[in-house]
Amino acid sequence: MNLIKILMFRKYLKIVINLTAILLVFCQISCTQSTNNKRITIASKGKIDSLDPAQANKLLALQLISALGDTLYRIDSNGTLEPRLAEAEPKISKDGLNILIPLRKDVVFHDGTRFNAKAMAFSLKRFINIGTLNYIIDDRIESIETPEEFVLKIKLSRPSSSIKGLLTSINLTPISPSSYAGYKNKFLNETLIGTGPYKLSSYSPERQTLEPFENYWGEKPNNKGLNYISFNTSTSLFSAIKTGQIDILLSNAIEDGHRLALHNLSKKGLLIEGEGPAMQIGYIAFRTNSNLLENKTIREALLYSIDRKLISKQVSYNLREPLRSLIPPILQVNKKSQWPKYNPIIAKELYKNAGFCNNKILNLPLTFRSNVPSDKLLALTWQEQVKRDLSDCLEISLNGVESTTVYKQLSEGIYEAVILGWTGDYPDPYAYLSPLLDCKEIVLETCREGEAVFGGTFWANNELQESLENSETLFSEERTKELSKAEMLAADGASILPVWILNQRVWMQTNFDNPQFDGNGRLLLEKITNNNE
Amino acid sequence: MNRARSLIKYSFTRLALAPIMLLLISTLVFFLLRIAPGDPVDAILGNRADFAAREALRIKLGLDMPLINQYFNYINGLIHGNLGESLNNQEPVIQIIGKLLPASIELALIALIIALIIGFSVGFLGIARPEGKTDLAVRLFGIGTYALAPFWAAMLFQIFFSVILGWLPVGGRFPPELIPPEGTGFFIFDSLINGDTTSLYGSVRHLFLPAATLGILLSGVFSRSLRLNLEQILNTNYIQAARSRGIKENNVILYHALPNAMLPILTIAGLTIASLIGGALLIEVTFSWPGIALGLQEAINQRDYPMVQGIVVVISSLVVLISLFIDILIAFIDPRIKY
Repeated sequence: MNLIKILMFRKYLKIVINLTAILLVFCQISCTQSTNNKRITIASKGKIDSLDPAQANKLLALQLISALGDTLYRIDSNGTLEPRLAEAEPKISKDGLNILIPLRKDVVFHDGTRFNAKAMAFSLKRFINIGTLNYIIDDRIESIETPEEFVLKIKLSRPSSSIKGLLTSINLTPISPSSYAGYKNKFLNETLIGTGPYKLSSYSPERQTLEPFENYWGEKPNNKGLNYISFNTSTSLFSAIKTGQIDILLSNAIEDGHRLALHNLSKKGLLIEGEGPAMQIGYIAFRTNSNLLENKTIREALLYSIDRKLISKQVSYNLREPLRSLIPPILQVNKKSQWPKYNPIIAKELYKNAGFCNNKILNLPLTFRSNVPSDKLLALTWQEQVKRDLSDCLEISLNGVESTTVYKQLSEGIYEAVILGWTGDYPDPYAYLSPLLDCKEIVLETCREGEAVFGGTFWANNELQESLENSETLFSEERTKELSKAEMLAADGASILPVWILNQRVWMQTNFDNPQFDGNGRLLLEKITNNNE
Repeated sequence: MNRARSLIKYSFTRLALAPIMLLLISTLVFFLLRIAPGDPVDAILGNRADFAAREALRIKLGLDMPLINQYFNYINGLIHGNLGESLNNQEPVIQIIGKLLPASIELALIALIIALIIGFSVGFLGIARPEGKTDLAVRLFGIGTYALAPFWAAMLFQIFFSVILGWLPVGGRFPPELIPPEGTGFFIFDSLINGDTTSLYGSVRHLFLPAATLGILLSGVFSRSLRLNLEQILNTNYIQAARSRGIKENNVILYHALPNAMLPILTIAGLTIASLIGGALLIEVTFSWPGIALGLQEAINQRDYPMVQGIVVVISSLVVLISLFIDILIAFIDPRIKY
């Protein structure tokens, strides 16, 4: 056993001690080594599989694309349309079918080629042709012409007042025709040759490096570039910002517990917290053609049965705003909530009217997306709140299903009530109402074909449909009124129960200036300033 | 038939069976994926697109074809080395795997080295004083590391070494402020080849914590196997005979006992590395390590059929090849093995 004895004690111990010492020195060097790099490190949850504006459909990718490219227009933080690559507001013909957009003449792409109407037309046509989300165009664009080098003419198939909002969509970011000549009909995922304040210097799905574009037409970035990295878990993101491994944490996917902890750290002055406009709504869809919920009185009772404030407090520590509308507040003109407030007394009356409460308890099967933690917490909290306040009339049974399966089965009418979320494809009330309520074929308040089927409600209303269609032909106050009317009819139909709204939040180390957002809820990366430089 | 010829015949038979096994696995994965609920179109578009948009995307992705046609297209592609295109971003699957695989292999190799070093050291400690306190501690270590939940251990290590002590990065594979070295995709190797010490340092720092976590979790298996095998072998007659012939104890252990104790460990090591390449999911998720297991998980979430199929085929091929290599190696080393 000599060998083992030797291994065991002196030599072995020496080896262990030496290895530990080396490790400690190694780690200590790494800890004391300052990062001289001047780029800002931003972390988010999830990878970016594609930087192609025609392919990207995740919020994270759209955020990055907004730094690498510009859109024709942008909604500023006050909700006003601001020309970017366009020189002025679009000129819309009297019949509402022709739009003329004058373009800036001083813009170049990252490859050095000039931005003009042909480049814009190329990008729009490519998106219509191959874009993953090209359904947002909704057959509204009939043709795209370039009457002058810096004038774009869009001919519409029908009047559409929401087209202005559509033109702010990041998916319509122009790309250089010469760099994408070989990618007219396919995606170019690994780069983006746009006109934005930054150009891409390296890409992999989990990390991207951006450098300021020296020939940018607008205000130059306030920083010397960005490192954009992804982490897989909320815990990693939280740890990374807390330990200073990253400068900025930008993620809506972070768990509510971590969100609160970060919020508290910023209250103590250890981090800076920024809030963008709230754009992501959370709601419950009721299947109105089911035996249980085809009774409108029951649906109305359910609208009165949810204590949004309590749920927001319990689930998100008040970091998600209770919502009684389908339109985010920033896009509302009259700031009026159409859905009723929590009222258990009215709820009980309505349940009684529907034949429940007297030893007959309504059982509502509620489905939540099992891979969305906040959905599960919402479901559990509502279940407990109902037990507390309405146990003699209503009980909720829960069922968790993975989101992809939920989406697949929504139109099959599987779920009586299901918790879902929605972010408009562009910042306009129509981008919130139409995708949730629109219906192409209505039979007695039941939708046979249309968005209401895909949304799982199967509810439709001729008057609401007319109102939605009219709103597309109207502008200003008249349009606002029409959209309000549509929303009021939706609330009256009680097929959807809005619960809360989530805003984009960002946390930064204290050496940065307060973050700024645009009206789309995107962080303006070029405005970030490192005060230590 | 002499031994060498038998060995060659055995190897060829195993190699010939490998494609059949892969075909079976591919077929199984193909159909199981289609049976599973969910749809790639819904995963890509969410609940937002209308029927026409869904159908257009379905046609574009080739999902409108009859299942049997999809299957034969897939098998035809597979035979020609074409794993198809990702439904998610239309990139060739083989290219995506080519980017993910080096990260997983790098992690698996270093984890295995750490596991072997720790496992052997601890195993030797146990055999030095059988049935003593040290041996008890060694046994507990073996069982404990084997029973430890990987994600829990990974989070503990992350919190302790990254958050509390701040010694190592929380996650990722490379410092965000640096551009990864070009080359094979094995960052440590590429940094060495390029003579880039900054990249090497950054790569090692990022690799250390996930590899050490994985290595420690695996080391229990090696320590237990080494301890048990050595204990058995040291009590066999041929070892007693060697001792009685006056051979030094060091030589008895090194030249007589250890080689025989190593045979089962070689098998374990081979299978461990094969399973680690595709099976270190929880470690990859916790440390945001961009490896193939994480890629597989994301592909499953996205219902990216070609991607899942491609990754499974690649991992299965690696498992088959590595186990074949180990079998042949053991058959070559151990004359007692018949085939």
